[in-house]
Amino acid sequence: MSKKQIILGAQFPGVNNFTVWSDPAAGSQIEFASFRHFAETVERGKFDFVFLAEGLRVREQKGRFHELDVVGRPNTLAILTALASITNHVGLIGTLTTTFNEPYPLARQLATLDILSGGRAGWNVVTSPGAFTGANFRRGDHLPFRERYERARDFLETARSIWQGGDFHIRSPHFDIAGRTGAGSLPQGAPVIAQAGDSDEGRELAASHADLIYSRHGTLEEGQAFYADVKQRLAKYGRSRDALKILPGANFVLGETLEDALEKQKAIRLQQVSPKNAIVFLEQVWNRDLTAYDPDGPLPEVDPDVAVEQLAQGRAARYDNRLETARAWRELAEREKLSIRELIIKVTGRKQFVGTPAQVAEEIDRYVQADAADGFVFAPHLTPGGFDEFVEKVVPILQERKVFRQDYAAPTLRGNLALPETWQPVAKAV
Amino acid sequence: MTQKSTILLGFGLHANAHGDDLDWRGFWNSLVGRLDGAAEFLTLEDRFADPGRDGLDAILLANWLAPRSRDIGIIAGAPLNFVEPFHVSTAIATLDYVSAGRAGLLIQRLDQHRSRDAGRAIGTLKGFPAVDPLSLDSDTLAATEVVRRLWDSWEDDAVIRDVASQRYVDGEKLHNIDYQSADFRVLGPSITPRPPQGQPLVAFGWTTEGDLALARAADVVFVPAGTGFAGVAAKLRGEGQGTRPKVIADLQVRPDVADVAELVAAAQTSVAQGAEGIRLILPALYRQIASVVDALVPALRADLLVAQPLGGDLRSRFGLPAARNRYAAAA
Ligand SMILES: Cc1cc2nc3c(=O)[nH]c(=O)nc-3n(C[C@H](O)[C@H](O)[C@H](O)COP(=O)(O)O)c2cc1C
Repeated sequence: MSKKQIILGAQFPGVNNFTVWSDPAAGSQIEFASFRHFAETVERGKFDFVFLAEGLRVREQKGRFHELDVVGRPNTLAILTALASITNHVGLIGTLTTTFNEPYPLARQLATLDILSGGRAGWNVVTSPGAFTGANFRRGDHLPFRERYERARDFLETARSIWQGGDFHIRSPHFDIAGRTGAGSLPQGAPVIAQAGDSDEGRELAASHADLIYSRHGTLEEGQAFYADVKQRLAKYGRSRDALKILPGANFVLGETLEDALEKQKAIRLQQVSPKNAIVFLEQVWNRDLTAYDPDGPLPEVDPDVAVEQLAQGRAARYDNRLETARAWRELAEREKLSIRELIIKVTGRKQFVGTPAQVAEEIDRYVQADAADGFVFAPHLTPGGFDEFVEKVVPILQERKVFRQDYAAPTLRGNLALPETWQPVAKAV
Repeated sequence: MTQKSTILLGFGLHANAHGDDLDWRGFWNSLVGRLDGAAEFLTLEDRFADPGRDGLDAILLANWLAPRSRDIGIIAGAPLNFVEPFHVSTAIATLDYVSAGRAGLLIQRLDQHRSRDAGRAIGTLKGFPAVDPLSLDSDTLAATEVVRRLWDSWEDDAVIRDVASQRYVDGEKLHNIDYQSADFRVLGPSITPRPPQGQPLVAFGWTTEGDLALARAADVVFVPAGTGFAGVAAKLRGEGQGTRPKVIADLQVRPDVADVAELVAAAQTSVAQGAEGIRLILPALYRQIASVVDALVPALRADLLVAQPLGGDLRSRFGLPAARNRYAAAA
């Protein structure tokens, strides 16, 4: 049996502590030259796509702007369209919320990106954190969790009607709109749809409507479980197992030897989790001001504050049960004798492939062939040169192993991902 | 004054100008190639919700044109009543980064007919204005103010990358704008750092007397050439609230007339009436562009009415002062 081909996405280092700004090699997060370097490098490496996350409000901690991490980014669609102008093959996927956009303007903008890129547009559909971000928008309001997914589904179906061109007239629970658009027959039929939600609702939406999933399940075991779970949801919608590709977010650290790479990884993690940032992470779970604590000392003995009001705003909420998380963290810290900072370094890590280029390539391949993933969305820790070494050293090994393309085979992103060539209406679940 | 001063030359386009040409990319690529170096600026009107002719999103098209041009200023349109001012502000700021300071925003106040189409295309939504002239006017003013304040919401030196204090950004240099209009509220700050020009140029197309307040929220106003021009220009420069915008005369180039001398004369008249530049409108762009660029532009230049494009940031080319940040503490 031939081996699965690996999908590679390149996330521009974003607004979070994984992006290391204190390194002398760290460049501008906003100048176009950074985006150009990034996109040209991964296109040289035959990556499937460039990927941008979204956050529509400056993050806050304890009522003040969060100062410790990179902040500031361009408008997602605008920078992707600019990148479409200077690249020829690489896909361009933007994360865009259905909560603070409306179907006609957004569908038209995505059509514009698809047309101007010659069929390389993609949309990572997210449902957005609520009222905090809403303060920057006319609508302002914040939908309850379940309704956000209903709106997302409704939004996607509405967008697909608009992409068919000509008259559209939609009356649905969330939209009552009409018009006639001139931009029919997009190069890809419809942009590639990605989905990032992790709940049952999120997974169902992906199974029924998406081409890709961007997941946070990067380890082998978690990845396999997630992969199996989502792929088995497809049949119900009349879709084949190949119709939805699963791409965990991941990172890599390359070295001359494994020891060298591990050494580098350690240094990078220390840069990512500065002493102050360790306290900020702890505060997200404890929900208390912990600035008086020593990052190199033990965890607080006081319990988390379980009040509803959150100290941290503008982050994807990940700690549903604070008391439970605190208990588990304390246990881990005691067992392994970890300071606050060491603990945070340990528990906030993403999947990292660490080793020589050959080891990293082999490991990526192993994960994909073992159905823990169909590929990865890699987010390097440095802007803009984070992929330079990967493209030079890892990609050729993947190509030699015959699990990654020598060159782009199709003009469109949909084609390169080996998705159905034009978009087919999705059968409704029975 | 005896010395003859030169004026700016631009082109007024819309983002559905490719018409029947199926190769949209090819059309826009060759068009910007022709205009870059020939004109100082182009405006890209957005045909939002124009039934069957809504074309491309103008700001995105502008971001695609910017990396494939060198000097031309790109002023992209948005119908502010029907979109989110926050998204418009970041998208124009991005255009300013991509174009290295050649960006502008064309404020589009759609007429009543188009407004109704646009209203139907987005639906009746909380936070958006009712589709009547007064509501649309005051909402356009409010949205323009929000776009501008968001551009200022980061001070130029907000990013500090200070290893000693472990801080990437100085939170004291980010500012909430907390703007409340009749219909909506925007808190800020922007997610995009202050663009290279500080305030990308803001332009507006004059249609009626009722436009005075909007025109005075802009840096540049386009006014139809002809009998009414002098009066409007005087009004815009007169006493009262707001900016004293630069006034540019809109000159229609009729498709059937290739009379260069006549057009040069019309341009001269506008200049005599106080125009600081002219914007050429080509109703049949596709057929007209070659002759206009090859014959009319050189004629305008030969007459020394029009200077060779200056390049550099767009504000300074229009003679606008460097933009002060309203939130920065006075030095
Ligand atoms: C891997 C991953 C990446 C995400 N990226 C973004 C993002 O860039 N911007 C955003 O607003 N939300 C993002 N989200 C949030 C989701 O869209 C969704 O709102 C959130 O995960 C809550 O839904 P869920 O419970 O279904 O996961 C992301 C979620 C995941 C799992």
